[in-house]
Amino acid sequence: MQLKAVGQGVQRVDIRQKVRGTRKYPQDFNMEGQLYAKVVWSAHPHAVVKRIDTSAAEAVPGVVRVITYRDVPVNEYGINVHDQPVLIAEGDKVRWVGDRIAIVVAETERIAAHARDLVQVEYELLPVVDDPRQAMKPGAPLVHEDRESNILKHIVIRRGDVEQAFAQADVIVEGYYTTHHVEHAYLQPDAALGFVDDEGRIAVISSCQWPADDLHQIAHMLDLPEDQLREIVPTVGGAFGGREDMYIQHLAALCAFVLRRPVKIVFDREEVTQRTGKRHPFYMRHRTGATRDGRIVAAQVELISDAGAYASTSIPVLGNAASFALGPYKIPHARVDAYTVYTNNAVTMAMRGFGATQPPFGYESQMDKLAEALGMDPVELRLQNLLDVGDIAVTGNVMTAETGAKETLRQAALAAGWREEDGHWIKPDLGTPSAPYKRRGIGVAIAYKNVGYSLGYDDKTTAKVELSLAESGEIARVLVKVAAVEVGQGVLTALAQIAADTLGVDVDKVRLALVDTTETPDAGSSSASRHVFISGNAVARAAAQAKEKWQAILRDETGEMHVEAEYTFHGRSVRPTTPFDPETGQCEPHISYSYAAQVALVEVDVETGQTEILKFWAAADAGKVINPIMYFGQQAGGVHMGVGYALTENYIQQEGRPRARRFSEYHIPTVMDMPHEFESIAVESAPDPNGPFGATGLGETPTLPTAPAITNAIHDATGVWIESLPANAERVWRALRAAHKL
Amino acid sequence: MWQNYLFPATVQEALEMLAAHGGQARIIAGGTDLVLQSQRGQCAATVMVDITRIPGLDAIEERDGYITIGCQVTHARIAASPLIRQKAEVLALACGSVGGPQTRNVGTLVGNVVNALPAADGAVALFALEAEVEVADADGRRWLPIAEMYAGVGECTIDPCVQMVAAVRFRPLSDGWASAYQRLANRKALALPILNTAVVVGLEEGVCSEVRIAVGPVAPTPFRAREAEAALAGQPPTPEAVVRAARLAAEAANPRDSVLRGSRDYRKAMVEVLVRRALTEAVTKAMP
Amino acid sequence: MLLEMILNGKSVSVEIEPGDLLVQVLRERLGLIGTKIACGEGECGACTVLVDGVAVTSCIYPAMKAHGRRVETIEGVAQDHELHTIQQAFVDHAASQCGYCTPGFIMSAKALLDVNPQPTRDEIVAGISGNLCRCTGYYQIVDAIEDAARRMGEGR
Repeated sequence: MQLKAVGQGVQRVDIRQKVRGTRKYPQDFNMEGQLYAKVVWSAHPHAVVKRIDTSAAEAVPGVVRVITYRDVPVNEYGINVHDQPVLIAEGDKVRWVGDRIAIVVAETERIAAHARDLVQVEYELLPVVDDPRQAMKPGAPLVHEDRESNILKHIVIRRGDVEQAFAQADVIVEGYYTTHHVEHAYLQPDAALGFVDDEGRIAVISSCQWPADDLHQIAHMLDLPEDQLREIVPTVGGAFGGREDMYIQHLAALCAFVLRRPVKIVFDREEVTQRTGKRHPFYMRHRTGATRDGRIVAAQVELISDAGAYASTSIPVLGNAASFALGPYKIPHARVDAYTVYTNNAVTMAMRGFGATQPPFGYESQMDKLAEALGMDPVELRLQNLLDVGDIAVTGNVMTAETGAKETLRQAALAAGWREEDGHWIKPDLGTPSAPYKRRGIGVAIAYKNVGYSLGYDDKTTAKVELSLAESGEIARVLVKVAAVEVGQGVLTALAQIAADTLGVDVDKVRLALVDTTETPDAGSSSASRHVFISGNAVARAAAQAKEKWQAILRDETGEMHVEAEYTFHGRSVRPTTPFDPETGQCEPHISYSYAAQVALVEVDVETGQTEILKFWAAADAGKVINPIMYFGQQAGGVHMGVGYALTENYIQQEGRPRARRFSEYHIPTVMDMPHEFESIAVESAPDPNGPFGATGLGETPTLPTAPAITNAIHDATGVWIESLPANAERVWRALRAAHKL
Repeated sequence: MWQNYLFPATVQEALEMLAAHGGQARIIAGGTDLVLQSQRGQCAATVMVDITRIPGLDAIEERDGYITIGCQVTHARIAASPLIRQKAEVLALACGSVGGPQTRNVGTLVGNVVNALPAADGAVALFALEAEVEVADADGRRWLPIAEMYAGVGECTIDPCVQMVAAVRFRPLSDGWASAYQRLANRKALALPILNTAVVVGLEEGVCSEVRIAVGPVAPTPFRAREAEAALAGQPPTPEAVVRAARLAAEAANPRDSVLRGSRDYRKAMVEVLVRRALTEAVTKAMP
Repeated sequence: MLLEMILNGKSVSVEIEPGDLLVQVLRERLGLIGTKIACGEGECGACTVLVDGVAVTSCIYPAMKAHGRRVETIEGVAQDHELHTIQQAFVDHAASQCGYCTPGFIMSAKALLDVNPQPTRDEIVAGISGNLCRCTGYYQIVDAIEDAARRMGEGR
């Protein structure tokens, strides 16, 4: 097959409208006669709702209805487990400040906002559990009173004989690493417009990641068959996992269901920040043992994650974290205990990396501690232990063709100036610091992640490809129907490239249909770095079938002008995954993988603790690069999120109450906070023969190694280990002070 | 939010509008703080008296031994002003570190003062410049020392229902004088300071003739480290003397523990670092 | 109150509430949805428009301040079907991913290049330091503005 689009920096299909400002996001839609809704949020992180009095709000002129739990046919929802009430009932509990008491619907947004404050709620306060380590202890207040414990899930991995292996280790290093709550901070606040469509369906225009799953949950909530529902997804202004759960679309659907009129809900930034899900904090206790020559012989880790008030996807996030807990290394004897625990903190959920983002801060800090203890170069130590094709991972699976760990690290290290001499790696000279009170350091980290849904989940996409033929019989236009949501990552463009080259047409002949559950078949979620692999396979195979049909038309001269083909691609058709064995955790965890290795050159102000990133090298192997310009964008954007994770972002809560409430208090990096120089390295060393054109997926991996690359660089500069994120100025200063190095 | 939005043509008319609305009216210039205060229920005023179109309040000028800055002058204009950069550099640097470009394009230095927040970059610099503030009311106009404008966190001593600030002024820094600004924040733009300090130093024959050190937010108002100033005044600015002054500044500073800005002990320690760096920089610049 | 302004080169009169912010007037009363609301407190730049050529965050800018002024929004940047050079550079450098911050960045870039046609890279960085992007990591945005300046310079 000749590649004309794949591998080229094809122009993004949606970008001309985006630079003109004409692309419409859900808040940009309005309908005749629409009403406006505002949510009455829980005032407390843990309390019994004794009484809800809506009379004062209902008396406000212009208020159309105050919707409460009595209006919800089946008052529960949730992406994996239906454990969340849609609206809290009198006598029931609020479990975090994102729980909803009522929805005020009015003729204008201002009236709705005014009336919302008049809804009177009487609470009986309950003790708040805000630390999962306390919450998992017997006797802790229960977040879900029908459970015996706040522990939502415990996963174990047992491989080899850990005790004996530690006994034989020459060097053992330990660490206790903690990570924090992080906000997705997509720029477009959640918005939804619910209405009854021409065919009587309850419809919602919304920003989401997985319309079919939304529909599934809304059907349950409204007790309606899915064919009486509809979700339309226009343009989504970023997601990063944060729109995988429902936060707004079901509320708009409920309003339309109750009132049979269009109802619009737009969250403001404070609502997005305080009332939607976050990245899981993890508490990670590591122990790693190696021989004197730098061979890891044993490792063990205990992971505890804060699930917040409801399950969301905390269990699969924990599964990922457990499988990646010890990194992409050959470890013959390993033990992992992973827990996720309910608290009254913010619900935690999918966020770029999905449980693969927190572990590298632990295992890559351990690798640098080990290198220091052994007196080895950190690159050399890693190369000596990284997984290769044919090696066995801690879950017992054999690593396959797409294992690009070593080459990715090699290329990152070489780009950053490391030299290999006589089999040894030597780190580069770092130059002179810009001030006497500054120290330079360089740090490296590598991480890997699954592509596609894991651990036995049936990951699949259905795609339809429709060809319109010209009089000449040539393909005039291609329409791809697939509910793969463009959240900014470039999926529409990548799928268009894949369809174009499969069909042998110019990419500008390919159009992707608007995602609408009545038109576009389920493509799963825009998550797990999966669309290029899973949906790309579906589109490629549907396109290949369409091409065969088209060639038959030409051969048989039937004169048909239209061709359609549909294909459902299952990840299990190329690699069936399996759940953890409950006793040993041994399994075939993932469909495919991608790798990222990064190097940070930093300068640390040892008087203030501030870290400045001078230069950054990001290498990634996600198999074949579909679009090099978008590849760069994913790398740089992923590193941006990693820099914020490492240095500036912190969603602070105290006793379940938000303290970083808005953008002025939650600091994603500005352009000035990014590394001064940035180099993206596309490593195409390990294509996956199962991926379209050998591609796997790049959406998440570039975020994973960023924080440990930076904290390892801080260590190189100052000699102190940073074991908690974010490594903001005060934290680094405290570590320096504790080490008497000021 | 508001019931009326007015454009007076003169200061006199602005004051009449304030008076006519019996406490319901407020002066608005850039509005970068006031809009948010109104939205968050921290300002109940319903009438806005927008003074940005009154002629004659937009100057940055040097006359009669003062640099005077009118109440319409934005942070962006001050940061870019050759006069300020040359003769009150600390103010240019402070104003250039406020928020982002869009905020600096709209927000005013005088607004910084009237809002009376102890961390306001421009106001901290004005403390080091020993600025005076021109208050206008029914009794006319008069100049008050900037310190007299502050009653507490976010509390200005002027009565916003009947008074307004027309300008600020200060003495330009001549030869032998120099200034410096240091700021610590969680990121490099769009961030309130964890700590900021503005210093002004005058040198005469190798001795500090005058030292002014302002620090924020370490007290309810921008804070002058008087002991530190006194310790260095009359002394040659040796590294040891500078360190001693910086330590005195840190001892006198009284920051609170803040969830977002950082702990008291960190910020107290940072006062010493920032003041030392600022003094060192200013002394170097003041050397002939 | 009556707000009169020159909006994207055309005289516009619109009846508004005294408390309306400029972004509300643009989006709700005039249907110009290209100006975005993301933070609502002047902390992200998504709502950036130009008033008399100066970039302002319209989410905290009282609409009446625009009375009698020249206001430019993203809708006024392109000439009919022809993209502005800045917009074309954003397209060529893939400087927009989710696109929600993009109009704000383009307005900040335009404000910069209108007064400083040949900025250094540091000046570009400073010029967009009031705009947040969560997708791109900013490099392609800076590249696009740098490239736009070069192209506009060649066109002169």
